[in-house]
Amino acid sequence: MSITSASGRGELRNAYRFGMFVLAIAFGITTLTARMFYLQVVQSQPANNVTSNSQATELESIPAPRGLIYDASGKPLVQNIVDFSVTVTPVDLPREQEETVAQRLGSILNLDPIYIETQIDGTTGSLYVPVKIADGVSASIASFIEENTDALPGVKISQTQKREYLTGQLFSDVLGYEGRITETQYQQLKSQGYSDQDIVGQAGLEGYYESELRGTPGNQTVALDAQGEPIPDLVTHGKNPISGDSLTLNLDTHEQQLAAAALAWGVRAAKVKQGVIIVENPQNGQILAMVSLPTYNDQLFADGISGSDFQALLTDPNQPLINKAIGGQYAPGSTYKLVTATAGLQDGSINTTQTLVSQPYIQIGDFKYWEWDRHGWGPLNIYQGFSYSSDTFFYQLATEVGLKDLTYWGDQYGFGKPTGIDLPETATGIVPTNAWKMATQNDPMYTGEIMYAGIGQGYDSVTPMQLLNAYSALANGGNVWQPQIVKSITDGATGAVTQVQPVLMNKLPASAATLETIRVAARQVVTSRHTGDLTDIPAIKIAGKTGTAEFGVLDQRGRLPYHEWFIGFTPADPYVDDFTKPDSQLAVIAFIYGANTWGNVATEVVKTYMLLHYKVISRQALALDRRTPGYIMGWVYRTTNFYGNNSRD
Amino acid sequence: MSLLQDQTVKLRAWAPKSGWLAWRNYDFQLTTYAVLLTMFGLAMAYSNSVGSTHEPLTINSPFVRSIMWGVVAVVVLGLMTVFDYKWLKSFAWPLYLINLGLLVLTLRVGVGTGEAGTAARWVVIAGFQFQFSEMAKIIMVLVFAAFLADRQDKIKSPWTIMQMLIVLGPPWILVLMQPDLGTSLVLVATVAGLLFMSGASLFWLGTLATAVLAAIPFVWTHMADYQQARLLTVLNPWADPQGAGYQVIQAQTAVNAGGIAGKGLTNGQVALPVSSTDFVWGVLAEELGLIGAIVVLVLFTLLLWRMLAASWRATEPFAMLLGAGMATMIFFQVVVNVGMVIGLVPVTGIPLPFVSYGGASLVSLAAGLGTLQSANLRRERPAW
Repeated sequence: MSITSASGRGELRNAYRFGMFVLAIAFGITTLTARMFYLQVVQSQPANNVTSNSQATELESIPAPRGLIYDASGKPLVQNIVDFSVTVTPVDLPREQEETVAQRLGSILNLDPIYIETQIDGTTGSLYVPVKIADGVSASIASFIEENTDALPGVKISQTQKREYLTGQLFSDVLGYEGRITETQYQQLKSQGYSDQDIVGQAGLEGYYESELRGTPGNQTVALDAQGEPIPDLVTHGKNPISGDSLTLNLDTHEQQLAAAALAWGVRAAKVKQGVIIVENPQNGQILAMVSLPTYNDQLFADGISGSDFQALLTDPNQPLINKAIGGQYAPGSTYKLVTATAGLQDGSINTTQTLVSQPYIQIGDFKYWEWDRHGWGPLNIYQGFSYSSDTFFYQLATEVGLKDLTYWGDQYGFGKPTGIDLPETATGIVPTNAWKMATQNDPMYTGEIMYAGIGQGYDSVTPMQLLNAYSALANGGNVWQPQIVKSITDGATGAVTQVQPVLMNKLPASAATLETIRVAARQVVTSRHTGDLTDIPAIKIAGKTGTAEFGVLDQRGRLPYHEWFIGFTPADPYVDDFTKPDSQLAVIAFIYGANTWGNVATEVVKTYMLLHYKVISRQALALDRRTPGYIMGWVYRTTNFYGNNSRD
Repeated sequence: MSLLQDQTVKLRAWAPKSGWLAWRNYDFQLTTYAVLLTMFGLAMAYSNSVGSTHEPLTINSPFVRSIMWGVVAVVVLGLMTVFDYKWLKSFAWPLYLINLGLLVLTLRVGVGTGEAGTAARWVVIAGFQFQFSEMAKIIMVLVFAAFLADRQDKIKSPWTIMQMLIVLGPPWILVLMQPDLGTSLVLVATVAGLLFMSGASLFWLGTLATAVLAAIPFVWTHMADYQQARLLTVLNPWADPQGAGYQVIQAQTAVNAGGIAGKGLTNGQVALPVSSTDFVWGVLAEELGLIGAIVVLVLFTLLLWRMLAASWRATEPFAMLLGAGMATMIFFQVVVNVGMVIGLVPVTGIPLPFVSYGGASLVSLAAGLGTLQSANLRRERPAW
């Protein structure tokens, strides 16, 4: 085969092997070309369909961005993030390909293929309704699936918005959460364009302001290709969605943190789980902080809570899902003496100079109604009766006043009815009347029960919000304001800001003198150190009222657990001891559920909050207390010459 | 005729040609095809630089870098054409040692880029990344060609094959250590092609091939996991769609989406890994379609044809083997690179000659082409 010969250069240019090489090249390039032809012409995909098949169209709804929520300083408490979910539409998935697709999806999503098949086969609805396979899929996996829809027939990516709560659990009870629309809600909201797949606010602000936050969904017409898949390029915009309105709260993250720190310290010190703290501006009803413990993580709901997690929250005996500030009702104990005192001063049963004799007990028939310290103090005027929180004093006063006046003033202070707060208010409390008792127990109120009603025991029941609002009315000279969480609403379309105006729910028909008398008495609660010793902290002038209400069953040592209350308020100038003027800017309530401590933890919580709020101590100092719960008590002991707080009432 | 040829040899042997007469043997077609392929490469680099969002070009974008490297490549092409290729034969062994040195240097100071995983294949010189394994391919073609040209008298001996393998060993191992499976395969293919074209014993080549096939199970167990995964992936890319199969699935999706006419330059939408280098064919297929793909494949065929023509017309073994070696190398790279994108062969990091972005690859190819043109110019022609 050699072409060269005489030159003696060996087998240069072996034609046979050159031929083989050329054949190899021809074969190789031909194979590549053939495969390219197969992939690009025979198996060619979407790109070709774009121009040809665009008759079929579909109207798609575009959800509006949900309104955001900001704290008083403009800091966002929540943001919207995009969430991808993977669905399979059974009708688009040929039976014989189901196993393959399930396996492919399984390896993409890291799920068991059997699970996916079960989900698809187990659907009871129409074959046209997409079955959700996975939620919270990352953007890269979502785009991978979208680019490979041909290998995954019936599989679709849907893009949904989801909430991200930016402050952890701090505002969970206030902000609430969203969830799948319930059947009842759907029936109510159907007319407003909701679908039965919608996610709507279910609790807290998300629920209360659902219609503001939701915005107006838009829509668009998309062209469908031969497979019924939307063609991305062929979209006709119908109507752009309009963002939901944004809320700016009266609540401030910093104040909320202080309140949460104080309350967390209190429940830890009392070794209990449940407690509430609310901070209000008595001059206009703005709520500055609101914490209910135990709380929950609202992000769990935003991420799609699992059945077991939800069950755990529902069955938790401490009811973390209930915002106890507005959703729990409890016996108010001695704090309710505010109502009895107002009634007595207003109807002339008592004046500022008259006295009633406090005794170890008052006997009605066989039953002894005891003074809380089982001794009594002898004759007491209204200031002393209120500040010593004498039970026998108020038993007598309540009897004098009578049930009718007692319930009248309870109603005037806002007990037994909604406060009107802009949150889903599920509890309204009870102000017992004869009519109420007849209706519920077919029996009138007995004298002893009226006496109990005068000291906040028996049938009396209030929510922490109602109680704080009543004391706010005391502090501001008689105005029962509507408590307000939201300060302003920003329109999602125009950006126009609407300030929420204070709403006066009721003007107490009590004289200024009556309220001034009770304010001064409330100051003596703190200074007389019979019940409120610990709240008399240096520099800051606090007035307030303690309360302890027994409930439930005896423990092993024969004691009843009790609620502990304290409501405190400061004058406009918290450093000047003058409670004659109705100028308070700050009222705080603390509530501890089921405590069994020696002393009132609620006073400690309010005091701790005040110390933090007025920067007497730092939150860092309080944080140190994590290891030694007695730290604050010790600090107060050293700086205030405190002699011990043994009061129970 | 042979007499005439012998006389010509005597008259012109080893003499540098002068004047325009020498340039009559310059293969303009060969250079033209190479330049056209490079133009496709520039188009792909442009598409990858601006993307579908039409980002502005930056100094570090593949397109601008490609133009800079293109200028270097033209200079190298010219220099190597003017340079007498026979000198390279004398320099073969020093070149071999320099080559080993550079590969060792790559292992010592080389860097990987995020794009191509953790492999340390690049050496940064004055801000430019350079992949010496690309140069190694061309240098090894020169070394093997020189080696075989010197053994024309005992070309049928099995020892020739053994010696070739011994010469191949050190650079092959150094490349494999980077690890650069692709380049090491190119080296093996080049050696096989050169042995075949040099006229080595088919019996012994066949024996060797059988031995290699028999060794596959053993090699398999010693392969890195990612290498095994890549080989398995060609069989079923959906076994691991987010991992090893991802590239293959995405690449085929891109090719599918291209259709006959393609989506047009920069209009590609499918996200492709290493889209400017190893998977450039996916971008090309999506944006330029079957038409563009066939044009490029035809250009490669013509280029290989001109290389084989240069080899065929060569009047001495070194020149003949240079052409054959270059053709083998480019042909193998085209088949493997395009084949892996369209799911015919396992994924290996082999660039598409001229088209893939990469300065070292382009400059090395230019050096090889220049050497081939140099051989064309200095060919002893029968004087008719």
